[in-house]
Amino acid sequence: MIIYHPHNETLLNERLKEAEEFLAQIPVKYCFITGSFLYKEKYKDIDVFAITRSKKELKVKDKRVKITIMDFNDLYSLFYHSVSKSCIAKNILPTKQLKVTLSDYWHVINEAIPTLLNQKDKFHKNVRFLILYTEYFKTSEIFDTFQLNEKINSFKDYNEVMEYVKKELPGIVNKYAKPSYVKRFFYTQAGYYKELQEYAAQSFLYELTHEVARGIAHG
Amino acid sequence: MVNSDEFKKKIEASISQEYTVEFLGKNFEHIVNLLTETKAEKVYQWIKDIVERKIEPISIGSKKTYKEWEVNELLTFRYPFSIGNAEYRILFVKVKNSVYIEFHLGDHKYYDKVRKDLDLKKSNY
Repeated sequence: MIIYHPHNETLLNERLKEAEEFLAQIPVKYCFITGSFLYKEKYKDIDVFAITRSKKELKVKDKRVKITIMDFNDLYSLFYHSVSKSCIAKNILPTKQLKVTLSDYWHVINEAIPTLLNQKDKFHKNVRFLILYTEYFKTSEIFDTFQLNEKINSFKDYNEVMEYVKKELPGIVNKYAKPSYVKRFFYTQAGYYKELQEYAAQSFLYELTHEVARGIAHG
Repeated sequence: MVNSDEFKKKIEASISQEYTVEFLGKNFEHIVNLLTETKAEKVYQWIKDIVERKIEPISIGSKKTYKEWEVNELLTFRYPFSIGNAEYRILFVKVKNSVYIEFHLGDHKYYDKVRKDLDLKKSNY
């Protein structure tokens, strides 16, 4: 068993045996437990990830265990780098260089804003990727599940999350992309959102794209 | 247990259009059969809310082709739900200012595949 970056070592030691039993039930070399099971007294699910090429369904007797299967291509993702950062693994986990682009980040924002507005009361559940990507581009730090939860819990409601994106995005784009690309990309996107402004999310995204492009235009 | 033909008919009645919407998804019938009446009613209400423009769509300014359309011509509505320990997603696809074309229902893997086809998802995660 390999322990990566523990947050609550006392609790972790209590749960080590249980974790080992869960991982032993999964017949793949690379699997790991992450999330609240490792650092919270009270937890709902036990998040297990298995890296395998096999299509076979994996099951653990305990119903609290939720298994997510990852392909070896997923090892380059920000998601894998985040979930595997603090975890208990059966073996030493494979590592691959992170591959993430500003375009991936925009896709995350584009999907997260409508989702957030459709489920305003459950915003904690729907902003994980949005916060993970924003913090990565803002600080170059990859948040693990504990850090991500801390950050998400610092927002009182969905409005604060929207304000946070509005505040952080222009600076991030300015830092990572060439002005000519930004103007072309964001003005093009704005054109698509413009015709859908009857919807609150599309209207927000329209304003956001304009703000980014304007920021670049005015230096 | 919900009958899948009834389920489809109720959705078609809510959107009331001449164009035939396609019902797609891996294990579509099986998942519908697992729905309780209460869960199915929530889906019907969600469809009504879409028609009344109360639900926010996902749209991306991409020129990628999806069947006979460009992705930027489409709106996608997303509905997540769970049955027991399993999570499922519905993706309801509409042509902007026009007809509803597809109703997808499936597990997370299927959902990710459709998202990639619709260019809503770039990387694997």
